[in-house]
Amino acid sequence: MSFGYNKKKLLYKDLSLTLTPGSIYGLLGKNGAGKSTLLKNLTGLLFPTSGSITVNSFSPKKRLPSFLEMIYLIPEEVYVPSLTIHQYKNLFAPFYPHFDSEKFFSYLEQLDVKEQGKLNTLSFGQQKKFIIAFALACNTKILLLDEPTNGLDIPSKIRFRKLISSVFTEDRMIFISTHQIRDLDNLIDRVIIVDNGELLLHASIATIGEKLCFKNVAELTGIDNVLYSEDSLKGFAVVAENKHGEESKVNLEQLFNAVTENPQMAKAIFKN
Amino acid sequence: MFGFTGLLLAVVFIMYIVAKTLGGFSSAQNITFIWGLPVSSAFFASLVFGHFSTNASGSSYLTLPASHFEKWLCGILIAGIAYPIIFLLFFRIVDSSFVALFHNSLDTASPFYKEQYDSVYIFDFNGVLAWRVYPLFFLLTGMTLVGSLYFNKIAFIKVAISLCILWLGILGINYVIAKILFENMTDAAPFNHVAIAVGKEEASIELPGWTGKIFAYGLGFVLPAILWLLSFTRLREKEF
Repeated sequence: MSFGYNKKKLLYKDLSLTLTPGSIYGLLGKNGAGKSTLLKNLTGLLFPTSGSITVNSFSPKKRLPSFLEMIYLIPEEVYVPSLTIHQYKNLFAPFYPHFDSEKFFSYLEQLDVKEQGKLNTLSFGQQKKFIIAFALACNTKILLLDEPTNGLDIPSKIRFRKLISSVFTEDRMIFISTHQIRDLDNLIDRVIIVDNGELLLHASIATIGEKLCFKNVAELTGIDNVLYSEDSLKGFAVVAENKHGEESKVNLEQLFNAVTENPQMAKAIFKN
Repeated sequence: MFGFTGLLLAVVFIMYIVAKTLGGFSSAQNITFIWGLPVSSAFFASLVFGHFSTNASGSSYLTLPASHFEKWLCGILIAGIAYPIIFLLFFRIVDSSFVALFHNSLDTASPFYKEQYDSVYIFDFNGVLAWRVYPLFFLLTGMTLVGSLYFNKIAFIKVAISLCILWLGILGINYVIAKILFENMTDAAPFNHVAIAVGKEEASIELPGWTGKIFAYGLGFVLPAILWLLSFTRLREKEF
């Protein structure tokens, strides 16, 4: 599909992407790279300029109730009406056939959201955690989260990560878009990197570990196919092509820098 | 929403009292009905469909698992049917209460009792004025519904400004066309009024009956119906 807010200036051109259930995707990109735009296209809030998107045989553009029942988007800027937690649940939960009321209150407890009057009087972080709890309790097959950790304090970010890990099942797809890459460490199992409307990388963490190695070296000389390097305490932190089957832990921040700074090289490495 | 309804009705109530104090019952009834029904309904429609005019709330309601028709119908039922009924009931209660108070305050022994009693009566919802206001209600509400879906944020103000520009444009174009067609024209207003000078007198040109009806029904009912339906189409196409 292609998409642009202006038909003459496309943000995504001929983007081809297949997403499968049973994965937690991390969509990484700089500010303005089009992450939210991609999520909105998947939900049917924006329509592709050309091409098409199919989600479980539904066209998101039509926004059919049966489609909307199986997908939930938590936008970066959440909206809560002037209702209490119970009123909100009673009003909106019936739209989601798999909504689990018990789990909803359990998630609220885990995220430390308390019944404190009207939702719109809560802080932004509390509102966001409330929406996260509600979205998880809806038990939709597809869960899209746009910058979910924005506005969350550090303990809440930890709780959020635990919660996402706990609700993940093989028939579910969770898609998290963020520019706060560290928040996704040890959470995602597939990485998608977009920049300038182009898909630069779409690979599993396992594949990335096979193709690239992340290590600290004293000197840069003697290392082939370096995609990225940065100064570190003991020399340099390096991302290079993994030619010798070295085992290393994928560092998402370094991966992102490597791929966005050397997109052609990264594409060549992941092509095979 | 209940709070906003209460606020609008409170404004209507104050308007009635002020107009009654300044101009008497007839003014109070006419002004409150003319301004109350179309304008407060338009405000209310703007509030209801205003949920689709900001990014956060719009995204939330558009992704709610219900069809476009259901979402549109809810808005129409609340803004186009429920609120006007509440307004009419409220107006009737306020109007009949004040009229009853007036009637009770009269001196039954006065020789002018009957005359005074008959001079004030409850506003007729089926009268000529009411039937001029109903089309205005449909038209303004329709415009607000569409405007709330076309404009993002402060949609009502943008609709109001657009309406003013549109109305001034229509007035101007209408005036220019009338001026071209009638040399001795003295006044023209959309869409059924042209006055010409005949000697020292002024005469009004009237449209043939059927032409006038086409304009009256077209502006009063067909155009609003198109606008209300257009809001449904716009809702289906709405993007964020």
